[in-house]
Amino acid sequence: MPPSKNADLVLNAERRRRVRLMEAVASLRKGTALESYHDQMKALGPWALELNYVNQHITVPQEQIDDAAKAYHSVARRLVTELKWPDDAIKVLPQGSASTQTLIRSPDRSKFDVDAVCQVDLNRIAAREPIAFFDEVGDALEPLDPTRKNRCWNVDVTGDPFYLEFTPSVPLDTVPGVALESMARQYTPVEQYRSTALAVVDNRTRQWKTSNPEGMTKWVNDVAQLQLIRIVALESATALDKSLSIEPVPNQEVEIIDTLKVAIRLFKRHRDMCVYRQTIDKEFKPISIIIVTLLTSCYAGLADLGRTYGHPVELLADLADLLPGMVLELNGKYRVDNPTVEGENFAERWNMDEGERYEAFETWCDILAADMRTILAATDPQVIRERVRSVFGCGGNTSGSGGASGSGGSGNQQPTRRPPPPPPKTTGLA
Amino acid sequence: MSLDVARLWNDFPDLLPEPLSRARGATAYRLKLPSFPWGRDFSWAELVLPHGFPDHAVAKIMLSPDAVLRIPHVEYSGALCIEGDPGPGCGYSANDRALLLLLAYQERFLGPWLAGDLDGDFSTEPLNYWYIEVEKARSRADPVRAVWTIDECPPRPQVREGLLLLPSRIVIAGDRDMPITGRTINSLGAARASQQIRVLIADIPLSHPLTPATWPRTASDLDQLLNGRLRPAQRVSFRHPLRQRGGSVHRIVLLRHGTCAFAYLLPGGPATVIELERGKKTYPPRSGPLPLRVHRLDPAWTVGRDQHPEVAHRQTQHVLVLGAGALGSPVVEHLAKAGVGYITLVDGDNLAPANIGRHLLGADAIGQDKADAVARRVNASQPASHVTPIVMNAGKWLDSNTLAGVDLVLDLTGEHDVRWQVEQARRLHPCPLLIGWMEPYVAAAHVCSLMSDTSWLQGTEDLMGKLGAVDWPDDVIRQEPGCSSRFQSYTAAAAAYAVALVAENALKMLDGAVVEPRVVSWVRGQRYLNDQRSDLALRDWAATAATHDGLLIERAFP
Repeated sequence: MPPSKNADLVLNAERRRRVRLMEAVASLRKGTALESYHDQMKALGPWALELNYVNQHITVPQEQIDDAAKAYHSVARRLVTELKWPDDAIKVLPQGSASTQTLIRSPDRSKFDVDAVCQVDLNRIAAREPIAFFDEVGDALEPLDPTRKNRCWNVDVTGDPFYLEFTPSVPLDTVPGVALESMARQYTPVEQYRSTALAVVDNRTRQWKTSNPEGMTKWVNDVAQLQLIRIVALESATALDKSLSIEPVPNQEVEIIDTLKVAIRLFKRHRDMCVYRQTIDKEFKPISIIIVTLLTSCYAGLADLGRTYGHPVELLADLADLLPGMVLELNGKYRVDNPTVEGENFAERWNMDEGERYEAFETWCDILAADMRTILAATDPQVIRERVRSVFGCGGNTSGSGGASGSGGSGNQQPTRRPPPPPPKTTGLA
Repeated sequence: MSLDVARLWNDFPDLLPEPLSRARGATAYRLKLPSFPWGRDFSWAELVLPHGFPDHAVAKIMLSPDAVLRIPHVEYSGALCIEGDPGPGCGYSANDRALLLLLAYQERFLGPWLAGDLDGDFSTEPLNYWYIEVEKARSRADPVRAVWTIDECPPRPQVREGLLLLPSRIVIAGDRDMPITGRTINSLGAARASQQIRVLIADIPLSHPLTPATWPRTASDLDQLLNGRLRPAQRVSFRHPLRQRGGSVHRIVLLRHGTCAFAYLLPGGPATVIELERGKKTYPPRSGPLPLRVHRLDPAWTVGRDQHPEVAHRQTQHVLVLGAGALGSPVVEHLAKAGVGYITLVDGDNLAPANIGRHLLGADAIGQDKADAVARRVNASQPASHVTPIVMNAGKWLDSNTLAGVDLVLDLTGEHDVRWQVEQARRLHPCPLLIGWMEPYVAAAHVCSLMSDTSWLQGTEDLMGKLGAVDWPDDVIRQEPGCSSRFQSYTAAAAAYAVALVAENALKMLDGAVVEPRVVSWVRGQRYLNDQRSDLALRDWAATAATHDGLLIERAFP
């Protein structure tokens, strides 16, 4: 009897798996006595270092995150001022990838979304009807030219590399009783996360809808704490680099040990690269919340089953391996359950598009597994570097997004003289 | 003044002063390279001074071949595409010009490249890079030279047929039964399209253009893309096409995004037979994918450069043009160029030598039926449109035909009888009507745009004389325009104003931009009239044009 729903999903995924990346990893260690963490790192170090490099490369710079935080606090202040709500009636919280440290840069330098929940205590304000509440927030944002989306207002902050996605919400318990009952028939908060449950406005149905971004964040963060790597004493990456004679990566912290979050970040990047290379259709790409949910469920299930791994690369390989099988298929319908809201299926649209999204998901999983296999098949550190950076689009000729990791500089010596610049050329229309 | 290398070296210490000889008399100087971060290296960079520098040529920076398609702004030759040397005639010395170029190389290319700031630049001009990729792969044995698309990009991937035309080796990405396919093949003529061979095309929309950083490079990359983008049934039909008489079929992957499209011929397929000067040579099927140029010939692009959604509507419209003279013939060509889908051209005349100075047709068509020859010419050059010629006097044609199925009638005959007959036909089949005519010397031209429910004839009165801009003296031979008047000597340039007036207003009618009947007139000024004769004057309504070279005047239809 499996100990949990997630463990059950993992067992099911293990039965359905088509490839065994783990075997590729195991073959890399053949003949090596892996008795210490250092041995493990040495055997799988080149992969770990390169994947870690990718992990650093795709990180959104902290100053941009700080700017985004400032921007959404400024928007919150605007709401308080414009709507004349009491200061303490509104709370703005980051949600989604911004809150789970899984926000990543896009390959094409397009803007990234910073999701924020604007949580308002309905008892303190006049609004009661969901659309009126949503519109009231939109009206207050009007000078920022917001775009209406199903559950949020999108604000394009000119000159900044991000959009703000502002989701007006109220604590679930402040929703009037009648409305709450009609919602309850569809979606109920999972008891464990009840205290953070919210009601957001669903513009399609013009009703309140249960949501729990804070619960979701807590779930991901809680699961990420579970330890699946057998040796937890992390040795100095600098010492490791020296032993391997490999150039140090810019950030010396080997964060790959935080394997769930690294997996979420790397796999999301891989998905983005597939869209960038157009091997999957942008319209049907697996959305981030599905990737996060499947990976976190898988990670939690592996922990529930007592599985452990010698190295984060092994775990990453296994996660890539098990991912496609983690989707539940019941009565011909695909399901990826929201772990914090009973009855909400993140994969609802997969059942309404003649299989387009599911096929895109499968294709992506296949490419991910194939790419991981190609990476793990290399042994020369230089080849590993080329393959990893090519697959994840980092640097040089395969780069999607910029940012050289090297010292840069434009030459060796500075010019000593500068002629006056020529006037700009003008051209006619031919 | 020639270049002082020692001084340039002093100004720009990264220049190595030893001269190197290059092709066609050029001289090069190597540049010191920085230490490169991973993946950003190239083997060398040179300042190249072509033969003729500084008086007749500009200096340039050349990069090593390993930079091509790996680093943005590098041309196929290795030349770095930056503005640096302002060129001769700008008041700069040779040294200053070379130094400006070196500074531009350092500050606008090398520094930004090393910092990663140019990484997105491939996407600013993706087709230029694609053409380099195509050029690199090109050989005389290529089974296909280019792909021409004739419709808009499909919203979803599809597997479709196309036609390989020989000997031009152009693939038309369109089914045989699409009218524009036949018209495009017709445009190519027998010399370029004497043989048609069926090919299979995976037609896949892109969400953004491909670049050297993202386009498939190997058969395996293409396979992955096909796996990801085709539905299972499509994959089967594309990978295992039904073969005709046991032969293999060329397969093409067509990747389209707005104005950018990319194509590959997949490995395999039939052998290629190339006609050489001395007989034929057969080449085996390719072993790797062949990148191909894609040219868009769909009307949305050729007609409207994707900026005129009304083209789609025009493609469905049928315009009847009566008269293929100096006005009618170029108007037909303009309508075809504007994307009008179907044009019926009625004219019973044939082309006389006196016509060719102001007609669409030239000496090569003398003696030919105007309607036939105009249709042939326009059909061959404008596949977005189809012109059906009727070699018959317009009046006679109206005797035995109706206006059923016609969306707009253009009466450009200038003949009273035709106008009367058109009115009778419109009573049976109400239809918008545009009447266009020119006055002698093209001193004025007029367009009457009438809705379906507006009659030209008011009682029995024909308004043409009343609407004119000039009271013509009796001795001006003023036969109706369109007849072969020998005395109205006007240039094609003068008539072009009238042609543009008619064509533009006809398009406005088709586009639904004319909501009430109106008269638009092009009226030349007094100076132009005086150049023709000394006794000409504008009527009062047109007098505002007197001081101008010409003026467009719009009036309500009386």
